[in-house]
Amino acid sequence: MGALLKSEWRKLIYARAHWGLLIGAILVAGLGTAVSPVILDNPDSGFGLGLEQTQSVDAVYANAISGYFFAIIIGIMLMSGEFRHGTAVATFLTAPKRGTVLATKLAIAAIGGMLVMVIATAAGLTAGWIALSFFPDAASPTNEVFINTLLAAVVSGAILGIVGVALGTLVRNQMLAITGALIYLFVIDPILLALAPDAGKYLPVGLITAMLALDIDAPEFGIDTSAYLPPLTATLVLLGYGAVFATLAIATSLRRDIE
Amino acid sequence: MAAIAISGLVKTYGKQNAVDNLTANITKGRITGFLGPNGAGKSTTLRCLVGLSAPTSGTALIYDKPYRDLDNPLSKVGTVLDSRGFHSALTGKQNLRVVAAAAGIPDSRVDEVLEMVELKDAAGKRMKIYSLGMKQRLALAGAILGDPEILILDEPANGLDPAGIAWLRKFLRRLAEGGRTILVSSHQLAEMQNTVDDVIIINKGKLIASGSMKEVIGDGSLEDAFLALTGGEL
Ligand SMILES: Nc1ncnc2c1ncn2[C@@H]1O[C@H](COP(=O)(O)OP(=O)(O)OP(=O)(O)O)[C@@H](O)[C@H]1O
Ligand SMILES: [Mg+2]
Repeated sequence: MGALLKSEWRKLIYARAHWGLLIGAILVAGLGTAVSPVILDNPDSGFGLGLEQTQSVDAVYANAISGYFFAIIIGIMLMSGEFRHGTAVATFLTAPKRGTVLATKLAIAAIGGMLVMVIATAAGLTAGWIALSFFPDAASPTNEVFINTLLAAVVSGAILGIVGVALGTLVRNQMLAITGALIYLFVIDPILLALAPDAGKYLPVGLITAMLALDIDAPEFGIDTSAYLPPLTATLVLLGYGAVFATLAIATSLRRDIE
Repeated sequence: MAAIAISGLVKTYGKQNAVDNLTANITKGRITGFLGPNGAGKSTTLRCLVGLSAPTSGTALIYDKPYRDLDNPLSKVGTVLDSRGFHSALTGKQNLRVVAAAAGIPDSRVDEVLEMVELKDAAGKRMKIYSLGMKQRLALAGAILGDPEILILDEPANGLDPAGIAWLRKFLRRLAEGGRTILVSSHQLAEMQNTVDDVIIINKGKLIASGSMKEVIGDGSLEDAFLALTGGEL
């Protein structure tokens, strides 16, 4: 298992595409926090909060987490990339026990997702801090917001990386898995959430939002955490999704022939 | 003793039997040529042997075990398949290092095998700029990474120029001299006649001949025997 971990780690750091994803996550997180003070400070924007409130400054920093979907993409790429590039042949010749390979990938995706999220979130927090320095009237954030956001980055990065690998194993086609996941997260899930709000909190987006909740209860931003599951419960249910995907993958796609 | 034992192997794709009840033994310490026309089922057989494809029925065992049950298989079996398993965005060396790490092989061995296949200069270049022959050399380097006793090679001469083929011949001879068991598929019959000890010929998934080179070809050439047996003569 140690040898396999080292091999999977090398796959993670050798591939330029993964570095591209890290840069993407940093950009999304940085832009998210850099732009939101401008929106919040604008009295016409309809949010009506203004940066004088601690709550809205906290909300600016909380945006540092917004690159979370890159952790899912990294996870998906780690496994579906093996089929896309044909490296699955070498991988499974070296380690023919497919379940062991999957377990190692889950571990590396957790680490990789976590690293990407922590780095991107730290960049986002820094960008937010710089952006807010241009607003002298802005309130100070609460003491916990930085540590809470980073904690959310660690947990969500690991969990979403795991969910991604499970998904990428189940759906071997990389483009299908990535576009499918993004369309689901940004289009289908929000529609389902609007149609059936009660069930919606058990769907991935509701769970991710709850996992990232950070105790910011701000219905003005659509963050009404009271309607979601508690963060820990949401995290466990998300892990449950990952476990279901992984189990389905072991029973189906992982058994199929490797071309 | 049989290093590789294939017994009643069947592999079905849809309605077609790509491999049809194939039984064959590969003797330890010998070079065995695995021959057959295009689509005969050679690659499919080899994929079943190394556990990438699941047989529909029958078994393909290495030292009496399915490939999946070998511990640290790269130290026992080196494989070159028609799909090579390398990432085109990584360098040749990086590709081998990924494999080496998984098998617990030190990175110094990666440099060693790169030198053996004469790829040292290209080792730091991305695979996507490799020529067909360079990719094939890298695949061979990957196969000997774990210094295995058994080599399973699916058309290793594929893409090699005449100098490359001559090099491959010497390379295989040197490996065989160390007492290794080599199972090699090829369409280069003249080359095979000079290189291999034993022959297995299949057609449409079925065994049609097996034995020592002498037994199979008699006084003629391998090409004559092959064409006669597979019904390919004009
Ligand atoms: N994944 C697959 N799905 C469906 N059919 C397949 C698959 N792989 C191989 N076949 C079929 O099985 C038969 C045997 O193919 P195989 O690749 O084993 O032949 P081969 O002896 O290696 O041929 P060649 O000398 O051309 O490499 C062919 O008819 C091929 O079309
Ligand atoms: Mg073939």
